[in-house]
Amino acid sequence: MRKLYCLILAILLASMFFMAFSGLQEVDMELSNFYLETGVEETGAINMVTAILFDYRGFDTLGEATVIFAAATIISFLLPKKQTTMLKDDFSLLVHKSIKSVIPIVFILGVYLVVFGHLSPGGGFTGGVILAVIAILWTVVFDLEYSESKLSYSTKSLIEDLGALAFVIIGLFGMIAGSTFLASGQAGFYLGTPGEILSGGAIPYLNMAVGAKVGAGLAIIFNSLIKGE
Amino acid sequence: MASPIWLIILPLITAFGLGIVKIFSKKLLKPFLALSATIHLILVIDVVIRAFEEPMIYSLGGWDRLFAINLVIDPLAAIMALLISVISYLVVIYSLSFIKEDKSKYRVPKYFLLLFLLIAGMLGMVLTGDLFNLYVFFEIAAITSYALVLIYKRDGSLEGTFKYLLAGTLSGVFILVAILLVYLSTGTLNMARIAVKFAEVPGQLKSIILILFLTGFGIKFALVPLHTWMPDVYPEAPAPYNAISSGVGIKASLYAFIRVIYVLFGFDFIANTELTSLLVVWGVITFMVAHLMAYQQKNLKRLFAFSSIAQVGYIIIAVSLATDKGLIAGGFHIVNHALMKGAIFLALGIFIYYFKAETIEDIKGLGRSLPLTSFTFTLAALAMIGLPPFNGFLSKWLIIEAALESGYTVAAFFIPVGSLLSLVYYLRVLQSLYSSGEPKPRVDFKRPRLSLELPAVILGFSCLLLGIFPRLPLDMLGQISHYLLDSSNYINLLLGG
Repeated sequence: MRKLYCLILAILLASMFFMAFSGLQEVDMELSNFYLETGVEETGAINMVTAILFDYRGFDTLGEATVIFAAATIISFLLPKKQTTMLKDDFSLLVHKSIKSVIPIVFILGVYLVVFGHLSPGGGFTGGVILAVIAILWTVVFDLEYSESKLSYSTKSLIEDLGALAFVIIGLFGMIAGSTFLASGQAGFYLGTPGEILSGGAIPYLNMAVGAKVGAGLAIIFNSLIKGE
Repeated sequence: MASPIWLIILPLITAFGLGIVKIFSKKLLKPFLALSATIHLILVIDVVIRAFEEPMIYSLGGWDRLFAINLVIDPLAAIMALLISVISYLVVIYSLSFIKEDKSKYRVPKYFLLLFLLIAGMLGMVLTGDLFNLYVFFEIAAITSYALVLIYKRDGSLEGTFKYLLAGTLSGVFILVAILLVYLSTGTLNMARIAVKFAEVPGQLKSIILILFLTGFGIKFALVPLHTWMPDVYPEAPAPYNAISSGVGIKASLYAFIRVIYVLFGFDFIANTELTSLLVVWGVITFMVAHLMAYQQKNLKRLFAFSSIAQVGYIIIAVSLATDKGLIAGGFHIVNHALMKGAIFLALGIFIYYFKAETIEDIKGLGRSLPLTSFTFTLAALAMIGLPPFNGFLSKWLIIEAALESGYTVAAFFIPVGSLLSLVYYLRVLQSLYSSGEPKPRVDFKRPRLSLELPAVILGFSCLLLGIFPRLPLDMLGQISHYLLDSSNYINLLLGG
């Protein structure tokens, strides 16, 4: 009986969504048109996704990054502090050595994605995830103790705090320059030639802040989740 | 002359900076938190005073108002911001003594980190003039709430929190889909621009968007039958969280809903559809069911959870009338309920802190052991029932008047019936509080700590003060309808004519 109710509810919801999305008409997407037309010129970033994320809607990004920050805090606080039992060190020397040699390359890839976020696909969030993979590899291939000895929980937590603070402080520079919070091009910051590494005003620095924060946050989340009772 | 953005980023900086302050010195933690909260309160008061002289717009990133994320501080937003920051300030001060450290030494910093993020989230929801930004802050407030409930990591709190998590996620999905549909059908996220273009949206799509917003926010502000998470969550949560959630947390969602229906859909839509009668009937059902459920409760926090749901019922009746009077009455009840429930939960927290008194039986005899706290509790409870000369009486009276004026006689009749029901169960609590008994304190104590008692006393006596001198809040609330009933005023304010 209960399943029947759920089925009816699901069908009702599905038909409502179907009606809603099929009833949509073509409208003038003024917001996205504005972004696309003026984006490169006004933000100095040639990656439009980054331009929207870190300049036009930088405040939303601060909020989203805060959500990840809160999630990492909550997971590390709530989950048991006992040591891992499910993961044992049973990889061969070959795996250990090759992973150790791969990690610098992963690091470079992550940093590249963060730093070149305003020029090529990538950015702080993507690059941060790649950087978190380093800590995850340490945990999976070696074990939790090894991972924590390389980069302890408190260090990661500190990196996360500093990344988050850096984002807000970069935002404050916009206010110091006489414009409003999180202003970059509008506050008269040096936008450079679009396509060069030193361009885009505050965007590359915001990318770095988010990269540090997301990387550390996801590493904390993974290492907390992997602990067993 | 602080800019309004500080209201949101100061709590964020505090939360992010906690980890760094902790490294320097653990002793600095509490002074740092108290200082930040005090500065925040001063900033809010400054901004609110200026916003009442002239509504403020703050465009983030320095972009043109049309394309930027804007903070819009009109009278309603200013009142809500003031309410949130006053309650939050008292809750922060209270929590500094109330939350005790656990073995791992993590509880206190994490609790305050999440509390400050929650405050930032609620203020963001209230101040923003951008629909997607509203969702972002809604998520921050939601996620931190789930964890604050679990701060003691008791087994009993897991089930309620899981329910809360599911309900909250469902509500988030509904709101996100609604925002998606709004964006796809108008091409913008700026609330004023949406209001301009929303008239062209086909009616069927409009009603679907309305249903999604109503269910989404309705889960959060606990309309019966979407309320089920609340009575399960409150008993295990720490008392200061109860105060902030019931006082202002659910009001932030209610505010967002008011903003959406009045600005996006507009007065004409409400007048031309049956939305008002739907919400009035729903409000009556909500408070009647909640009062009847509250009557059966033994656990005090569960009882007050149902009582909060009932008050939401009154507020939703008042604000859905779409009249000047209704909005003032609803707004006044939002303010009053925050003060009353804040006082009640903070006083209850003192009972729990010293006597572990969680049920009606447990508080027997506490009237003698904790005279001032019990007196505060009594003041707030009498205000909750709606007895004169308290503020609760005034706002309920105004709601009845507004409902009668709009022709909802039956609803107006049920409001005193609901108050009578609440009289029965609140008197039962008060009777138990002042009957003889031998409460056993957990530790030997002479009198409660000042930092615990003072916030509760301030809130309790403010109920009486607002009841005797209602002029100032009513004058302030008198200005809110200008930007709600006629959305063109809001549009002109945000887009600059």
